[in-house]
Amino acid sequence: MTDLRLALRLARRELRAGVRGFRIFLACLVLGVAAIAGIGSLGQAIDRSLSDNGRALLGGDVEARLVQREATAAEMDGLKARAETVSTLRQMRAMARLQGGAEGRTLVELKAVDGAYPLYGTLKLEPAMTPAEAFAVKDGIAGAAVEETLLARIGAHVGDLLAIGDTRVQIRAVILDEPDKGAEAFALGPRVMVALDVLPATGLLQPGSLVNTAYHLRLAPEAAPQAVTKALEAGFPDAGWRLRTRDNAAPGIAQFVDRLGQFLALVGLSALVVGGVGVGSAVGAHMATKTRTIAILKSLGAPAGLVFSIYLLQVAILALAGIVMGLALGIAVPALLAGAIGDAVPVPVALGIYPAPLAVAAGFGFLVALLFALWPLARAREIPAAHLFRDLVAPDRVWPRKRFLVATAVLLAALIGLALAASADLAFGLWFILGTLAVFGLLRGVGALLVRLAAALPKPARPEPRLALANLHRPGAATGAVVLSLGLGLTLMVAVALVQRNLEGQVGERLPTAAPSFFFVDIQPDEAADFTALVQGTPGTADLRMVPSMRGRIVKIKGIDADSYPVKPDGRWALRGDRGITYAATPPEGATVVAGAWWPAGYRGPPLLSFDAALAEAMGISVGDKITVNLLGRDIEATVANLRRIDWTSLTINFAMVFSPGMLEAAPHTFLATVRATPEAEPAVFRAVTDRFANISVIRMKEALETVDGMLRRLGAAVQVTAGVTLAAGLLVLAGALAAGHRRRLYDAVILKTLGATRAQVLRVFVMEYAALGLATALVALAAGTAAAYGVVGGLMRAEFSFDLATAGLAAGAGILLTVGLGMAGSWRALAARPAPILRSLT
Amino acid sequence: MAAPEILPEILVEDLRLTLASAAGPVDILRGISLVVEAGETLGLVGPSGSGKSTLLSVMAGLERPTSGSVTVAGQRLDTMDEDALARFRRDHVGIVFQSFHLIPTMTALENVALPLELAGKRDAVGEARRQLEAVGLGHRLEHYPAQLSGGEQQRVALARAVIATPRLIFADEPTGNLDTRTGEAIVDLLFDPERRRGATLVLVTHDEHLAARCDRRIRLADGLIAA
Repeated sequence: MTDLRLALRLARRELRAGVRGFRIFLACLVLGVAAIAGIGSLGQAIDRSLSDNGRALLGGDVEARLVQREATAAEMDGLKARAETVSTLRQMRAMARLQGGAEGRTLVELKAVDGAYPLYGTLKLEPAMTPAEAFAVKDGIAGAAVEETLLARIGAHVGDLLAIGDTRVQIRAVILDEPDKGAEAFALGPRVMVALDVLPATGLLQPGSLVNTAYHLRLAPEAAPQAVTKALEAGFPDAGWRLRTRDNAAPGIAQFVDRLGQFLALVGLSALVVGGVGVGSAVGAHMATKTRTIAILKSLGAPAGLVFSIYLLQVAILALAGIVMGLALGIAVPALLAGAIGDAVPVPVALGIYPAPLAVAAGFGFLVALLFALWPLARAREIPAAHLFRDLVAPDRVWPRKRFLVATAVLLAALIGLALAASADLAFGLWFILGTLAVFGLLRGVGALLVRLAAALPKPARPEPRLALANLHRPGAATGAVVLSLGLGLTLMVAVALVQRNLEGQVGERLPTAAPSFFFVDIQPDEAADFTALVQGTPGTADLRMVPSMRGRIVKIKGIDADSYPVKPDGRWALRGDRGITYAATPPEGATVVAGAWWPAGYRGPPLLSFDAALAEAMGISVGDKITVNLLGRDIEATVANLRRIDWTSLTINFAMVFSPGMLEAAPHTFLATVRATPEAEPAVFRAVTDRFANISVIRMKEALETVDGMLRRLGAAVQVTAGVTLAAGLLVLAGALAAGHRRRLYDAVILKTLGATRAQVLRVFVMEYAALGLATALVALAAGTAAAYGVVGGLMRAEFSFDLATAGLAAGAGILLTVGLGMAGSWRALAARPAPILRSLT
Repeated sequence: MAAPEILPEILVEDLRLTLASAAGPVDILRGISLVVEAGETLGLVGPSGSGKSTLLSVMAGLERPTSGSVTVAGQRLDTMDEDALARFRRDHVGIVFQSFHLIPTMTALENVALPLELAGKRDAVGEARRQLEAVGLGHRLEHYPAQLSGGEQQRVALARAVIATPRLIFADEPTGNLDTRTGEAIVDLLFDPERRRGATLVLVTHDEHLAARCDRRIRLADGLIAA
């Protein structure tokens, strides 16, 4: 205790000299901690706002959603018995055509609501009016509220008439805010909202049409939503409805935010680890200046333990300061970014202080600071008192004691443990950590290799390259630190840039030449022949393909309820609600059977199933297993006959589940069709189909892809910003490493000038040194970043990976430029200086 | 203008040097005029802060005066820019410092070879080896400065100063960091005519005994020549 107090007193006394040498140390910690705290706080703030607004987002306390059918009278009674109010909504995709002179028409997301809508929140309209006013029938025509984008797309105005299927509605208002929109899947067209009783008149409600019916329940204030869903599940086990409560109103968004948040937090952690390198070298540099002090302390009788405590306390005090500053910045991040994320989240972000992510960030900060500071501190501990009386200039090579090696291992384990604990997806977290460790190790190795290589290379005859080469391998050279600090940041940058480039490529450039131009949805069986004739009769079309389509839900796998069946994360989507199903006599295109065999031609036996091979892997399904699918309320058990490897990127129609013929033909269903059209023929196809068939929805591939592309772009921007933080941390460390060598370079420059070297000669030495460092680092970062991007694109996303030379070249160039630039920034003064004053200050 | 051959090796006229400091400008040199003939050995003595090292720096082209003129080896140093001064030093000057100022990343051999290499001369390494052998360091060629004792480092510095056969050698307290015996050995080498090959030697020292070995002694006090 006395020792600790003494250590604290001595530590404080030393800190009085200022923290100049610790600026990089502080900056690294502040940046890393702020990144982790900020990302965590933002995630929590979004979670909080989603749950705070759960009722409005969901549209009720409980929602029961049915696909392709309405609730039976008994089911309706069951809903009403448990709620104060039940509101009914039906949604589908449809074509809307502007009536009058203009020819505008487009795919819309049609939503029909009853008089109780919305149960919670407000439907904001412009001009201001109530939903009842907007949807009222005037002069025999019902009203509609539409999204602004619809007006722009088809050139319509408030007051114009829209034809939807067989009926017409009048645009009465523009929707400014639709409270329950955020909870829905992404939209392929603008919203058109009408009264529920308009829907039958459209003629779009055909058997097999893709219509969702949702029942929103307002519960009594004391009723628990979970109790209601449990009761509904128990009361109607075969209803096949999807029940959601206000606590989980937007599971898609919540999950997306969680996943992205986790990923970004790991990226933030890598920034902190890069910063850790800076922490380590700052402490190392600080301890190097303390050699004399330590020797004096020891010669006066201070034991090694006390010496260690003094400097450990200094580091701890400074780390605490850095962490507190980082947390303060982190708290401000959600407020700063709230505007930028704007419409990506359907509700305003709930700003506030969230202790959990702050605690995690602080924990990371302390562990990283200690981990990286321990080594130089432990070495300083071993400096002998005799150092004072030794004439030699050579630095003492001391190895820390064994217990510090153990402590380092423990700290590292704790850091990895915390990273895994903070990451919900254990496998992803583990991969990320392993990847970071691998890159860390690789860069360390490359740094060491570069030093050895520089030492082993034959010495160039000319003094400039020789000096540059010598600077790379001299004792205390910044080579290792530069390669590591710049390398980690650059690696991440290359990986992110390449992943993003590949994603953009997937959507934009990699579109197969045979990709269809249109998707046609909701073709009724009796329209199939006319539709085929019409499309094939339009010049410029090719490859018309039509397949039957229905919706079904997997309810049992190998006899186990789907709810309790264990599925890997990447297969969970298939159990979430209804999935598209088809039947076929022959294997679909764009897929190859990889296990089992396709059913024989003319097969009419018990239902067989062809299953997506990737999904089967995630679900642990193999040929011969039984799967039960609920189809329009009826359970059908089928045996898996084969597994197909599907190439989704071919953009041909494909289904995860294909049934054998014989069983499903009788069920009500519609057809899906695709067709390829030349760009010139596209408008004609669009017009011909929408003119002739009011009920068939036409999705233009180009527009759908643009929607996806926009989402990917936003996602990419978020990832890039975070990767930028890592690069910034790397630059800080780089600047620190180069600054540490500044005195030495100044000295070299002055001696060279004293001996008669011109400024140009000295300049060449420095440029050669930094360019070699930057080039080596950039090459390693390029290789490691490409490997990581390949892993993400090829492994995680199962997409084809392509290397992009421009991206690669940019990264390499940036690496060299940054190193030379930062290095020269520090050396410029040395070049301009007159030798005498500096020689004076050096003696 | 007089023909170069009748100019003295060093001609300093009314040399003044003022440095800015936090407490206001400090006059380091306050009007010094002096002549050194070719081949002469000159000792500059005086108390600390008298300006003797600064005067040496100006004559060696390491520092530019505030006013006055400095002509060394027939060239006006006070009007040259940094690179011209660097070339002048390369071609005509060898310098020995109190704290040796060797480049720590280079071996003894490389340090000594450097002036010849900078001047683009052939066989710089071979000549450097001969110079190091001549000062008794033939067995230390591949050692780095940190691996050498102070006396050995100063011998390397001395070899480096003379390798390019300079017309002028400037030595600033060459024995200041060395014990008496080691220092004497260095001075013997410095005054050795074989090594000096007729070069003019200007020596700054506190050591009267050392100064006594010079042809002439100048005492500085407070930025002026006292005697």
